[in-house]
Amino acid sequence: MNLPDEISSYLKSVFEESRNPLCFLIDRDFALLDWWGFSEAYGYKNLQSGASILDHAPFLFGMLGSKTEVLPFVTTPTGGTVEVHILPHKRRFFVILLSATRDHDTHQQRQQTANELKLLHATQRQLITRQRTLIGELVEAKAELDHRRREAERSNANKNQFIAMMTHEFRTPLSSIINYADLALEADTSEADGRKSSEAIARASRHLLNLVETVLHEARLEAGHLKLRERSFNVQELLDDLSTILAPLAAEKGIAYATYLEDNVPAVLYADDVCLRQILINLLGNAIKFTETGGVSMEVAWSDSQLLIAVNDSGPGIDLADQERIFGAYQRAERADALSQPGSGLGLTITIELTRLMQGHFDLDSEPGRGCKASLRVPAKPSSMPSEDDVVLPAPAVELDAEGTATILLCDDDEDLIDLAEYYLQRAGYGLLVARDGEEAVEKALQYSPDLILMDINTPRLSGADAARQLREAGFSAPVVALTASDVRKLDQRDFTVSLRKPIQMPRLLAEIRRHLR
Amino acid sequence: MNQVNSKVCVVGDFAVGKTSTVERFVNNHFSDKYLTTIGVKVDTAEVDLTQDLKLKLILWDIAGTTEFKHVEMAYLRGMSGYILVADGTRLTTISAARELKTQIEATHGELPFVFLLNKSDLQHAWEVSDRQREKLVNEFSSELFVTSAKTGDHVAGAIARLAELIAERELFGPQ
Ligand SMILES: Nc1nc2c(ncn2[C@@H]2O[C@H](COP(=O)(O)OP(=O)(O)OP(=O)(O)O)[C@@H](O)[C@H]2O)c(=O)[nH]1
Ligand SMILES: [Mg+2]
Repeated sequence: MNLPDEISSYLKSVFEESRNPLCFLIDRDFALLDWWGFSEAYGYKNLQSGASILDHAPFLFGMLGSKTEVLPFVTTPTGGTVEVHILPHKRRFFVILLSATRDHDTHQQRQQTANELKLLHATQRQLITRQRTLIGELVEAKAELDHRRREAERSNANKNQFIAMMTHEFRTPLSSIINYADLALEADTSEADGRKSSEAIARASRHLLNLVETVLHEARLEAGHLKLRERSFNVQELLDDLSTILAPLAAEKGIAYATYLEDNVPAVLYADDVCLRQILINLLGNAIKFTETGGVSMEVAWSDSQLLIAVNDSGPGIDLADQERIFGAYQRAERADALSQPGSGLGLTITIELTRLMQGHFDLDSEPGRGCKASLRVPAKPSSMPSEDDVVLPAPAVELDAEGTATILLCDDDEDLIDLAEYYLQRAGYGLLVARDGEEAVEKALQYSPDLILMDINTPRLSGADAARQLREAGFSAPVVALTASDVRKLDQRDFTVSLRKPIQMPRLLAEIRRHLR
Repeated sequence: MNQVNSKVCVVGDFAVGKTSTVERFVNNHFSDKYLTTIGVKVDTAEVDLTQDLKLKLILWDIAGTTEFKHVEMAYLRGMSGYILVADGTRLTTISAARELKTQIEATHGELPFVFLLNKSDLQHAWEVSDRQREKLVNEFSSELFVTSAKTGDHVAGAIARLAELIAERELFGPQ
């Protein structure tokens, strides 16, 4: 169909009204050659032939090429939004501008809504992320704080228990050493008594040395700085030392203690004996602690440049779950438990750590009700000469005089202290009764009515404090002197006349006895 | 005085501050109101390069996008350099800028550009960590500018740097 002229011109007028077409003819250098159309609609007031079009239409810069270009929405500060068509024509260019403001605005509104929605989502996402991070940080911070607090509490408790235990453990051998040294230095001591004293001093010193080593080990282990210190040592002596420390503990519980050393074990070995001693004290100490009937034995053998040691006990045994736990993570809580038991050693977990350090192997074979066998295998080298480590103690000053006729009841489970007291008190003319635990003390006190009681606080079966209270309640009125290795402040002043702190100096004890008997 | 014309496109994701940056540079003005750009907004500004040489920048502020479609490709025609804009409060706009740069390099080869990490005034909502910023510095070195169209921080400096790069290239050719 051919459009009638009037329709064509109608269409043209509609198009021109809505789109305000403007047409430039320009050359390659943007010189305006001619134009046609609605220039005022775009703010183009004084167009001039030959002038550069760029001042009016800067967007044409860079756009002239060999192909037709259509730019749908071009907005300029002065001209509003236009649709630009660039048509190359015989080395010149026709540029057609059509008003696009109305279209632009519809587009703009639609896009605006979409973008704002996207921004909202982005903000939301950020808020959620930030919230999550904050919550995460909060949880982490709280966990960290809790952890630190627990650590602090635990390490504090550990230290306190450790110090309490060590104070107690140190005082007993120290008091023995001081008193036996006093005794040995006395002018009228017989040769036999002097020798007995020296032996007791040596025994107590070795025990003390062991304790010191234990503390040092513990400290170094704690700091993670434990290093092996190998040296030559005599195996039999090591076993003797262990017996000195542990046999009395077994005897106290009425169980057997035995050591077997096989013939082929080299007499002198080169290894870290301090470490080994610590391991064995722990193993034997534990075995004794948990065994109520039967006994504990240690077998020492030698094979393939390794010391093979088995510690057997007839205790209750360890069930599999507990074995797991022992071999599992190094648990501080359990160590605190182990420490709170005086003289019990420092727990199997430390034993395992130390064995590892010695590049040895440790194993447990146990079933509930069938005892326990702990096997230890540590590498060592046969050696010839043991290294000497001497313990030198300063000699205490002595000043002693004694008299009296009264009867004194001594309640203590430390045989060395009993020996000493026997010697001094009898020499001073006192009659002496001995009780080895709290119950015995109550019995004997009520039966024989002594003039004074020396009461160790840390006694088996019934504690000294409870024994004293029972006696007071039963009407016992003579002086009761507390002998204590630990904190004296906890004692009830009504039950005890006075407290003496161990280690006890015999002259001081005699002076106190004299004072309270008057 | 001599004057050289130069077309520069401003590209980046939506709402990163392209229009605001141009508005700050050309009219030293800023508006908090967001009015998204449709198509392209063309503006001009002059930068003095030397005492007798001026660069007339024809700035094409192109509608925000993460990828150029056919029509937008036409907008890029004949440009001498470009300004990548990202929004420091939205990490995704950084990868969008990287994408656009890759696309430009594929069609136009290496051209002078500057990278604007915009909205530096919004510290409380800033999403770019120090580590990420360091990475950007390594990636874009002296072409990276942390700007604020709102306060005007480093906007003029960034565009001056781009003008320099363009002048070097236009006058002495690509290295
Ligand atoms: N605080 C702050 N806001 C800014 C800054 N730059 C831009 N804005 C705001 O961010 C929003 C978007 O800014 P525009 O300049 O329109 O962003 P655009 O990149 O042109 O966005 P499109 O045109 O949609 O692609 C507006 O609300 C601006 O006010 C800035 O440096 N600081
Ligand atoms: Mg915009």
